Amino acid sequence: MEYIKYKRGHSSDIQRGTSCKGVSNNIIKKFSITGKIGITIVFLFLLIGIFSNCISLHPYNVPSGSSLESPSLVHWLGTDDLGIDLWAQICFGARVSIMVGFGTALLAGLGGSLIGIFSGYFGGLTDKVIMRLTDMMIVLPDLPVMIVLGAFFGPSVRNIIIVLALFSWTAPARIVRSKVISVKEEKYVTAAKSYGANFWHLTIRHFLPNILPIVMVSIIQLVSRAIVAEAGLAFLGLGDPTSKSWGLVLNHAINFRGIYFTDYWKWWVVSPIAAITLLVTAMAFIGRDVEKIVNSKI
Amino acid sequence: MFWRIKNIIIAIVLAGLMLTEIAGCSNSERTVNKDNESSKPVVISLEGGDWGYPTPFSHYSRGPGVFKMTLIFDSLLERGEKGYIPWLAEKWDISKDGLEYTFTLKENVKWHDGEPMTAEDVKFSFEYFAKHPPVSNDLTVDGKSFIKSVEVVDAKTVHIKVEKPLAIILGKIGNARIIPKHIWEKVDDPRKFNTPEAVIGTGPFVLKDYRKEQGAYKYEAFKDFWGPKPKVDILQFIPVSDSVLAFDKGEIDITGITPDILSKYEGNREYKVMKNPAFWGYRLIFNMEKRAELKDKEIRKAFAYAIDKNELVEKVARKAAVPGSAGYLPVDHIWYNKGVKNYQFNIDKAKALLKGRKMSFNLLIGNSNAEIRIAELLKISLAKAGIEINVKSVDMKTRDAAVKKGNYEIVLTGHGGWGNDADLLRTMYAKEKTSNQSPSADGIPGYSNEQINELCKLQLIEMDPAKRKDIIFKLQELIAEEIPQIPLYNTTGYIVYRPYKYDGWKYMFDHHEVTHNKLSYLDVK
Repeated sequence: MEYIKYKRGHSSDIQRGTSCKGVSNNIIKKFSITGKIGITIVFLFLLIGIFSNCISLHPYNVPSGSSLESPSLVHWLGTDDLGIDLWAQICFGARVSIMVGFGTALLAGLGGSLIGIFSGYFGGLTDKVIMRLTDMMIVLPDLPVMIVLGAFFGPSVRNIIIVLALFSWTAPARIVRSKVISVKEEKYVTAAKSYGANFWHLTIRHFLPNILPIVMVSIIQLVSRAIVAEAGLAFLGLGDPTSKSWGLVLNHAINFRGIYFTDYWKWWVVSPIAAITLLVTAMAFIGRDVEKIVNSKI
Repeated sequence: MFWRIKNIIIAIVLAGLMLTEIAGCSNSERTVNKDNESSKPVVISLEGGDWGYPTPFSHYSRGPGVFKMTLIFDSLLERGEKGYIPWLAEKWDISKDGLEYTFTLKENVKWHDGEPMTAEDVKFSFEYFAKHPPVSNDLTVDGKSFIKSVEVVDAKTVHIKVEKPLAIILGKIGNARIIPKHIWEKVDDPRKFNTPEAVIGTGPFVLKDYRKEQGAYKYEAFKDFWGPKPKVDILQFIPVSDSVLAFDKGEIDITGITPDILSKYEGNREYKVMKNPAFWGYRLIFNMEKRAELKDKEIRKAFAYAIDKNELVEKVARKAAVPGSAGYLPVDHIWYNKGVKNYQFNIDKAKALLKGRKMSFNLLIGNSNAEIRIAELLKISLAKAGIEINVKSVDMKTRDAAVKKGNYEIVLTGHGGWGNDADLLRTMYAKEKTSNQSPSADGIPGYSNEQINELCKLQLIEMDPAKRKDIIFKLQELIAEEIPQIPLYNTTGYIVYRPYKYDGWKYMFDHHEVTHNKLSYLDVK
C-alpha cells in the first residue's frame, strides 16, 4: 500500500516533470490481472501484519492450546510443539517479513540511488571508486557473508535489515548511475546548469523524477529478495530467536525430530512456506507489471 | 481439457503404483540376501559428527567423543550391563584397609601394532596421566591424584597404593585408559599428538579413517583382539542431515526417535525399539559469582516453583522424559531418593518468595532445537512470576566452554552421566577445581554449603555401601532443600534399529546410550 501511495505521489511528480507525461493518474488500471492479484495479496498481508493482534484469537508468543493440535475452528492452522497458535505466529510473522522486506528495500533503494546519483553526476574518480566498490559487493557471495555478519552483529530485526541492505544497494546504484549519466546530457539539464543550478537543485528537480520509476522497480524486486533472505537466515538459526518470523517457524518445524513421519508437517511446515511463497510471488507479479509500465512509458 | 487432466492423473497413479511395487520387491529381496550371506562383513553405520581425534587427550569431552576413544583404548575394568566386569584385568584384590589394589592382567593382550601389553604399560599410563591429565580424568579427587604409587610385580601383576581408602576407587582406577608405553613415552605434549600412532590401543577396533571436516570416522575390527570376538567388522560414522530420514533410507543403522513416530516402528517385526534409561538430562546452573542475589535461597526456590517441569517434559521432550529430581539423582539411579522435596509448579508460591522483587537474568543456551524451546517456555513461565529472562543462544561448544569458565549468569546445559556413581553429587555440589573437562563435572560457581560439603566428604570415605546409601539419601534431601541448581528433566528417549541387520545393542549399567557401549559391538553374552 505504501508503495502505491508512493507511486501515485511520484506519478504526479513525473507529470510535473518533463519527460514522461503519459503516465496516468490511476496506475492500478494499467496492471494486468496477475498484477492486481499481487497487489491484493500484498495489501492483505500488510493488513494482517498491522492488525495481527486483532485478527488472531490467540497470542503469538504464549501457548494457548496443547502441543501440535491439528487445524480446527479454535486453532485455524493448528499449534506448534509448544502449543502456540500457528495462525497467530503467521500473522505476526507477516509483520516481521514486511518490515524486513520493505525496510531493506527502502534503505537499499534510497541509499543505492543516492550513491548512483553521486557517481553518475560527478563522474571521474568518484565514479570509479564507487563503481569498483559495487563490483566488489556484487562479487562477494552474499549469503555466507550475511551469515557471518548476522552472527557477528547479533540477531535482531534491525541488524538483519542493515545487513541485508548492505548487500542490496548495488543494483539500484548501478541502474540509477547509468540513468543519471544519460539525463545529465539532456539539453534542459545543461540549460538549467548554465543558469547556475547546483547539484541539489538538479537532483530534486530533474534527476529524481526521471529515476523514480526505475528505482521503484528495483525496490520491488529487492522486497522479495529481502523477505526470502530473512526467512533463510532465520531458518538457519541466525535470525532473531524471539522474532517469530516465518523462517523461524519453519526452522523449529524442520528441526522437530522425525517431522516427516508424522502428520504435523501438514500444518506446521506448510503454513510458513505457503506464506513466504504467496508474498514473494505477489511481489514478483507487481514487480513485473511495474517494470512493464515503466518501460513502455519512458 | 478435462479428459486430458484425467489422463495425466491416471498416468501418475500408475507410475506411483509401479514404483511402490518395485520398492516392495527390492525390500523382500534385501531381507533374503541378508539371511543367506552371513559371510559378508558386517558394516554398521552410525550418525557422524566431529568429536575430535579419538585419543585420550584430544577427543571432545562429551559422550560421543569419549566412546569413540574407548573403542580403541581399553581399561582395567569395563562397564557391563549389571556393573563393572573384568576387562584388561582378569581379577583384583583389595587389601582390608582399602589402601592397596592388586590387579592381575589378562594374558596375550596385544597392542594394535603387534607389541604385547604388559604391567609396565599400566604403570606408565597411570604415571603419565598424573603428569598430563587426559580429557576424562578418573584418577583425581578434588583435583588431586589419589594414587600414591604403582608398582610392577611381574609382567602381568600391578600393585597400586592409594592415599586414602575411598568408596569409589575401584571404579575410578578401572575406568582409566591404558596407553602404550613404547609410543607415549616419547610424547611431551599429548594434546598435539595426533599421528596414526596416537590411536594405537588394545581395544577391539582400529581407527582407519578420520575426516574432521565431515565428521566421518571409520573403524575396523582388530584381528588380534584379546577378548570377545567383534561382531561388527566395520564401524563407520557418516554425516547425515536428518537422522530419522537417514535411518528410514537405511543409511544409518540406529537412531533416536520421539514418541510421535513410535507407532511407525512399534509392533513392526522389521524394527526393534528400546527405551533409554533416564541418564541424560538438562539442568539450569546458577552462577552466584556473577549474580550474588542468587545466593539467596528464596530466589532459587522461586525459580524452582516457577518452572513447570511437566510442561517441558510434555512439550519439548514429547513425553519421552521424566521431570528432574531436585536432589539431582534421577529416577532411574540406583540411589534415587524419592522422598526429596518436590517443587510443584506454583506461580503464586514463586511470587510470594520473591516478595514483589522484579529481576532480570541472562540465560545462556546452546543452539539445539530442544534448548531453544526449553528457553522459550522458561521465559514465559518465569515472566509470570516476575523474573525476566534474556535468552542468548550460542553453539554447543561455545556454551560448554562458557560453562567451564563460569562465563554466564544462568546457563542451560544438557549432558549424560547422571547414572554414574553417586559421588557425582560431590563433584557437582562440593568440588574444588578439577582437571576433568567433562561437562557433567562442573560445579556451581560461588556456591558452598558446609553441611553439603561435610556429607560429600563422608560418603567418599564410607566403605559400607548401605551406610553410604544413607548418606547419599540425606545429601539429596539437603540438596533439594538448597536447590543450588535446577535439574529440569531426564530424557528417556527411544531408539530403533533393524534386528535382522544387527541385534547386538546393549546398555551399560549406568549409561543411557547403547551405541556408546563397547560391548554392543562384541560377542558377549
